[in-house]
Amino acid sequence: MSIQSDSVLPATLRDRWPYAPRYANVNGWRMHYVDEGEGDPVVLLHGNPTWGFLYRDMIAPLVGGGRRVIVPDMIGFGLSEKPTREQAHCLDGHTANLTALMRQLDLTRITLVCHDWGGPTGLSFAMSNPARVRALTIMSTWAWPRPPAEFHTRIFPWRMMHAPLIGPYLLGNHRALAGRGVYLSVVDRERFADTAQAAYETVLPDPATRLLTWVWPRWIPLDENARAFERFKWLEQELSSSKLPALIIWGREDEVFDAATFASRFKRLLPHAEGPHLVTGRHFLQEDSAPEIARLIGSFLDRLDANGAKQ
Amino acid sequence: MTEVTPIKMPSLEGKRLSFALAEDRLAHYPEFRDFFVRTFDLDRKGLSEPGFVHAPSGGAYALIFIGRSGAPFPSGLEIYAVVDALEPIDGDLLDRDLWSVLRWMIGGVGAPWTVQDLDRTGRLYRVPAASSP
Repeated sequence: MSIQSDSVLPATLRDRWPYAPRYANVNGWRMHYVDEGEGDPVVLLHGNPTWGFLYRDMIAPLVGGGRRVIVPDMIGFGLSEKPTREQAHCLDGHTANLTALMRQLDLTRITLVCHDWGGPTGLSFAMSNPARVRALTIMSTWAWPRPPAEFHTRIFPWRMMHAPLIGPYLLGNHRALAGRGVYLSVVDRERFADTAQAAYETVLPDPATRLLTWVWPRWIPLDENARAFERFKWLEQELSSSKLPALIIWGREDEVFDAATFASRFKRLLPHAEGPHLVTGRHFLQEDSAPEIARLIGSFLDRLDANGAKQ
Repeated sequence: MTEVTPIKMPSLEGKRLSFALAEDRLAHYPEFRDFFVRTFDLDRKGLSEPGFVHAPSGGAYALIFIGRSGAPFPSGLEIYAVVDALEPIDGDLLDRDLWSVLRWMIGGVGAPWTVQDLDRTGRLYRVPAASSP
């Protein structure tokens, strides 16, 4: 029913991901995570089709700033277990997986850093476990039930890419999202191809391991009959009354989750949030601006510390 | 690229069914399920027999329809190449045939889905079969 993907990374990548692997059993699945440093926890959440490696250049500066940094790999991605049945995946299940890890580690005063599907899952965790959460950082994601962007309603390329049979063929057999998809969604593509692309492709080596890359797009609600419509409706409502300190960071070049639409909407939902801060980046802005993002998060948390802010 | 056409069940003597592609959620967009129901008369035939198609390479493919309690039939679909029992498959040929099957499917599903958009998507992601003449 699943593929154990704790196989080692190639030596060329191990140098850039030197962190001790840790594993937790969450809802019966084996979740990989890293846990570095000491202090109030900062939890870095990735989305589709990435894994903790996306945050490789943010861990050290945050740890150096006196934070405990925890980076889980979503079940189905990275070095976590990869179920081979689509039915193993649902939005609430992934939120419950994160909740299980946070409770096992008994984390409190958490700062959640949410990107892509790390947004709906991380923010759902935050809204259902507010006593454990201190602050939010939101990047290139969404939290409302209507289609996130006009892009997601279009047949070319979005709906075609994950359509029945075409999703398993393009994203499974041909690795369209984990390979070229991420490549197209960074600014410095040459550097990405030279230094990072292999890390995303290596951990999803076979079509069956890429299942979640076409399952997640199918969870984006396109109308009110969609499976996750009510969950997103709840999430938007909960966020609109949240007083959690928040920081919004967005990629200036993000054409899909464009800042003018998405960062602005988060600002309306969370008017007390800092930002939006625009950095160089498309959807995977961490690939282009990790040091700057780490600095923004670090200074945001320093200000919270100085103000004695405590959720 | 020549057409994909539904055919009657070929002789399977000396053959095996080699797994090629699976879809767990055929009705994610309901018009895709409707296409297969229509094409293979599945409301009448149900699970009684697979569908078969003839691909441009000359090979045959079996379409095994999957039922799931509580969901309209078929809920899923598995595609198998019908190949000589003890021979390995030709991966490139299989890939081109699958692409042809997808184009045939999209053509049958119809508007707003178009073969042109499928081809554009394939080229965007540099699928070799999408750039073949």
